[in-house]
Amino acid sequence: MTPTDLSREHAALVKAAKAGNLNRRELLARGAALGLSATALASLAASQRVASAVARQDNPLAGQTIDMTILGIAGWPPSRLGVDMANELFKPYAQETYGYDVNFSFEESPFESLFQKAATSLQSGSAQYNIIISDSQWLGALAEPGWIVRLNDIIAENPELDIQFEEAAAIGYRIYPDGSDNIYGFPQEGDTIAVFVRQDLMTDQAERDAYMAANDGEDLPQTYDEWLEVDIDRYERICQHFTRPDENLYGTAFQWSKVYDFVSCYAYPFMFSNGGEAWDPATGQVEGIANSEINVAGLEHNKRFLQYAPPGATNYGIAEEVDVFTAGTIATCWQWSALGPQMMNQLVPGEPGEVADEARPVTPDMVLIAPPPGFPQEDGSLNRVYTLGGQPWVLNAFNDEAHQQVAIDFMKFWYLPETQLEFSRRGGNSAVTAVLDDPGYEELQPHFAAYKYMIRENRSKDFWHDPNYAEMLAVQQEAWNGYIADVVESAQLALDYTACEQQGILYDAGRSDIEPSEACADISI
Amino acid sequence: MAQTTFPAETPAAASYQQARRRLPMARALDETRAFPVILIGPVLVFFIVWNVVPLLWLLGVSFYQYKLTSARPAEYIQFENFIDIWRASEVWGLLGRTLSFMLLTVGGATLLGMLLGFLFWGSGKLPGRRLALTLLFTPMVLPPVAVGTFYRLILDPIFGIANFFTEKLIGQRFDFLGNKDLAFATTIAVDVWMWTPFMILMTLAALASVPKAELEAAEIDQIPWLKRIWYVILPNGKFILMLGILLRTIDAFKTTDLPYLMTNGGPGNTTEFVGLSLYRTGFEAFQMGEASALAIITLLIAIAFASIYLYVLSYRETRAQLQ
Repeated sequence: MTPTDLSREHAALVKAAKAGNLNRRELLARGAALGLSATALASLAASQRVASAVARQDNPLAGQTIDMTILGIAGWPPSRLGVDMANELFKPYAQETYGYDVNFSFEESPFESLFQKAATSLQSGSAQYNIIISDSQWLGALAEPGWIVRLNDIIAENPELDIQFEEAAAIGYRIYPDGSDNIYGFPQEGDTIAVFVRQDLMTDQAERDAYMAANDGEDLPQTYDEWLEVDIDRYERICQHFTRPDENLYGTAFQWSKVYDFVSCYAYPFMFSNGGEAWDPATGQVEGIANSEINVAGLEHNKRFLQYAPPGATNYGIAEEVDVFTAGTIATCWQWSALGPQMMNQLVPGEPGEVADEARPVTPDMVLIAPPPGFPQEDGSLNRVYTLGGQPWVLNAFNDEAHQQVAIDFMKFWYLPETQLEFSRRGGNSAVTAVLDDPGYEELQPHFAAYKYMIRENRSKDFWHDPNYAEMLAVQQEAWNGYIADVVESAQLALDYTACEQQGILYDAGRSDIEPSEACADISI
Repeated sequence: MAQTTFPAETPAAASYQQARRRLPMARALDETRAFPVILIGPVLVFFIVWNVVPLLWLLGVSFYQYKLTSARPAEYIQFENFIDIWRASEVWGLLGRTLSFMLLTVGGATLLGMLLGFLFWGSGKLPGRRLALTLLFTPMVLPPVAVGTFYRLILDPIFGIANFFTEKLIGQRFDFLGNKDLAFATTIAVDVWMWTPFMILMTLAALASVPKAELEAAEIDQIPWLKRIWYVILPNGKFILMLGILLRTIDAFKTTDLPYLMTNGGPGNTTEFVGLSLYRTGFEAFQMGEASALAIITLLIAIAFASIYLYVLSYRETRAQLQ
């Protein structure tokens, strides 16, 4: 039994006892078993403490105070959670285990400008930010100039860091270049897209009757399992049903904003799920891949959902979706699962179901979180390949020895089972396979079931890790958002322009031998 | 060097003599050619260190392919960055949008500013005038980051107060910042709102510079208002007004913060102007060479505007001298 199991068993026992579900004999028996386990674990912990006391004496940092700075994403709860836990839990742990005192401060910047903040500091060789919560697509841009540490040797020297992660996370958050065995990051939090559903609307009998009458007897999905069977066409019918501007109610919202990678992340599922690709990372070929027929159809399909979204949705990003969903304006919403508690208006940290803001009309009991719709394939199956979210920890290559050692110690602490359990309990998405495999994992937070489903079996994937990521993304965001907002006349033009520009960027940067075709000279938006 | 002399009996002369006695160093400086150099030296050093050196550095970088994230050394590519900019069709669209934005915002703020300036000028005895003026200047002193954020919230189609009123009044909501037909006009309107007070200030300053005697003469002769403005006020106040327009023009040409916060240059590229594009090239794509080339072009355009204004300002005098 691990501390994780123990904690869960204890919680279950208390819950059952409170509910009066246990008789006296059962209560005593289970309590005794739990007590024995606790005693065994306490003995183990005591022996570990003796060992750590010895280790503490040998630690060259013992007695010192180290100030660490973590650069993370502003307004992004999982980033904040990492820093809060560093100060609350790692600080006493480091004192106990290593004998040094450590203080963490948090520097933050929004998604769209965090890389600039990191890059301008790292470019000058600064160790201002000892640990950075990077976005996965920045790995190449951070690794290529040698700004972050290649972790292979560190992992070899510290077997505790050789952890089995979910495959999507193990590749997406760690590896650069794609296909190599170079490890540059540790998964800080995993993330996938989920669909957030107003369950009170879905289960309303009048709504069900009206929907069934309009859709040949087809019912609204009622449970998580029924949402697993929802394909994109049925989802569109649901969105259509709930779109009633006169009642200030709309069917859905995606992220269509030009800011950062918002529109890209929510348009890619319409391409990836039907076999489309962003590029060929091996050759750097973009033209002919990014503007394929599948991708053109995918972008057009994505835009079709704009008619079921509230006005102004072309500017929607992460925060706007939280606002509009918790205000009760939309019936469903595609959003990063990491924002589960915020989308449900659930208190953080707090127990599932605790309301964060009483003034908001949507409360946790009104929301169901499920995997987003599948895309029907020719063989009748449903395919889901959505964009991978989430961020890795990366270590500054300019850290001095002491700060690097503390950073490594912190990483070891971060992946302790009890730390991962606490991270999960507070709403963070762990990427450690053992944590997700734990039988009680899905009950810890309402969004975990959807997250676990979507991060497995290739249902989520990342796009470029190339150092030219920012430049390629800027071109794409402008063209795709332009198409969504009717500024660019067609999806074909938006994708042709994107492919040509990105091909040119990669060619000019020496990342691809493939030049943009002659047709590109005539393409502009 | 001519020596400063005062009539012997004046208090100024007495204090001058006293100073000469007290500060022999100062006297020595005063009487040498070094004095003006010492006075202007720090300013020159400041100018060279903070303006000339960075400008030359910028010019130098514009001839290189230099990308911060590429891990490759900067490569000298002569005028290739400028040629790429010249050839890129997007840049012409960008310049066209920026010039349209500049003309409309400066024109709008100038017209409104002059109109309100004249009204305030003529309302000298109105109670609460000072308070009204102070309130009127508020938009100008607000940081653009606050203005951009406020307006993004005010104009929000779902939660914004502007749409609350449009719905009440005409039964319709507008996507001011997300609609391609409205976003550009909305950005202009907010910029005009923000900078009209500056033009009011310049108009009031211009009006204050008009000699009272000329205004009184115009009033005695009962010259119509439009003629008064054309023949009396503008000839006297035009330098201050043109200075205001020049400053606004240069500022509007490099506007970055307001569209960045309100629309992020969108939808598509509808509100993307030179300043924002420059920022993106430099600090999102980290293409320092290309960004430097675009910055040099922007600088040249700003200098051209300044030259045109100065030429227009002195045109009449030049023509009169020639005749």
